Amino acid sequence: MVALPDGARVLVADDDADIRDLVEFKLTQAGYAVQAVGDGLSAWEAFEADQPALVVLDVMMPGLSGIDVLRKIRESGAPDVPVLLLSAKSRDSDVDTGFAVGATDYVVKPFSPRELLHRVNAILARTR
Amino acid sequence: MLVLAPAVVLAACLGLVALIVGTKVLRTRRERRRAALLAPYRIDLLAVSAGEDDAGAHRARLAGADGASRPALDDAMTHLLAKVRGTPADHLAEVLHAHGAIDRAITDLHHPSAVRRARAAQLLGLCGAHQAVARLGEALQDQAPDVRTSAAHALGLVGDPAVAPRLLAAVGSSHRPIPAGPAADALEGMGVGISRALRDALEHPSPTVRTVAAQVSGDGAFTRSTPRLRELLATDPDLTVRETAAGALAHLGRREDVEVLARHTAADQPTPLRRTCTEALGRLGEPSAVPHLEPLLDDPDPRLAELAATALLCLGEPGRRALGDRGGAAADTARTLARLRAGEPIQSVGAGRAGDAAGPGDSGDAGHARAASRADHGSRA
Repeated sequence: MVALPDGARVLVADDDADIRDLVEFKLTQAGYAVQAVGDGLSAWEAFEADQPALVVLDVMMPGLSGIDVLRKIRESGAPDVPVLLLSAKSRDSDVDTGFAVGATDYVVKPFSPRELLHRVNAILARTR
Repeated sequence: MLVLAPAVVLAACLGLVALIVGTKVLRTRRERRRAALLAPYRIDLLAVSAGEDDAGAHRARLAGADGASRPALDDAMTHLLAKVRGTPADHLAEVLHAHGAIDRAITDLHHPSAVRRARAAQLLGLCGAHQAVARLGEALQDQAPDVRTSAAHALGLVGDPAVAPRLLAAVGSSHRPIPAGPAADALEGMGVGISRALRDALEHPSPTVRTVAAQVSGDGAFTRSTPRLRELLATDPDLTVRETAAGALAHLGRREDVEVLARHTAADQPTPLRRTCTEALGRLGEPSAVPHLEPLLDDPDPRLAELAATALLCLGEPGRRALGDRGGAAADTARTLARLRAGEPIQSVGAGRAGDAAGPGDSGDAGHARAASRADHGSRA
């Protein structure tokens, strides 16, 4: 059984309101403190303002994409923050790119919310 | 007449503005009404779609919704169904079934409106409605192309392999065909049960059907198709089929296929086939391909030379050694592409040497889209 880091802050960025609400709901029910934003620029600004324990990023967002935000995070002064990419882009090359840029995990949409929670728990348990 | 013209233009402009404003007002009102109808059920929708409804209380509330809320809820649940999988998707489908949405969708497959028929097919696919497979199979021959495509997509989501022969036959239909790309995607969702159908389709008189069957054979690792794929590469009269067979052989990845692919990089082969086979040698990942790729670095076709350099970078240390510190546009481009695929920002990527390249990503997925697209645009001799 993976121990949950209660109240750990998770930043969720997705321009799809359904996905954003759903992930926020799921993680909040599990005991995380969730901040949800709707685009890449807001995600980067939120990250800079108050570094979370983990970031869940959609890849295809207007303005700054998830990959762009991930790259900025890795080039920032906090390169070790785990980032989980949540994307409808499912080709091998898309997954390769995500990990090559520094993603900690990659979940393809349509996704299982339960599986997403397990992955978040496992990542944060490893980084404690 | 000249006096009236400006007045007419002005009236038309004002009418257009009124139409735009009116449409926007109506849309905003409709969205507000929809949000108001959904508001009492927001937590129930979130709980069910997040998989937080093991006891079923939220599903029961949603199933009990009636009146004006029900169509709004059905619409919202259909949208959510496209975004989640597993237990939440099953639970959303359960509520839709309780609302009679699945039965209505089956009926709507015969609706006079093509939009309604296409949406019905979409809903049936998202709900995994096995009971609708026969009707969806009939919809593959619908007069509207969008309905046929929606039905193909739905059959892929339902995943019943028994319908694979019908799907493949619809690709080759001269009267009302379905596009190769959606058909290939649908077949890939049906699992190993389509193996026999694929092997039969590799013999089909339609080159589009043979292309789709070859594509899916490779993507799904249907190794029993391998002997026929080798024949198609060597002898099919259609170039798209030959190229797709080459791509499939790269996926199926047998060492003996190095010679099979290398044979078709020779100068007497059609240029597109030479390029595809060169790329395939890289994706196959067998170091024994290195001696076949090295001479291609000096090929007069610059694109072929570049593909050969990229393929060498896929073959680990032997390939990198063969590329060595060789200069020239082909080698430099291959190294640059490898670094871009590794995620380096484009500003920092410049001409480098073999030692800089960690190895490119999989270039095969571009081949999938190209093959399906080529099949859709007809065959070439």
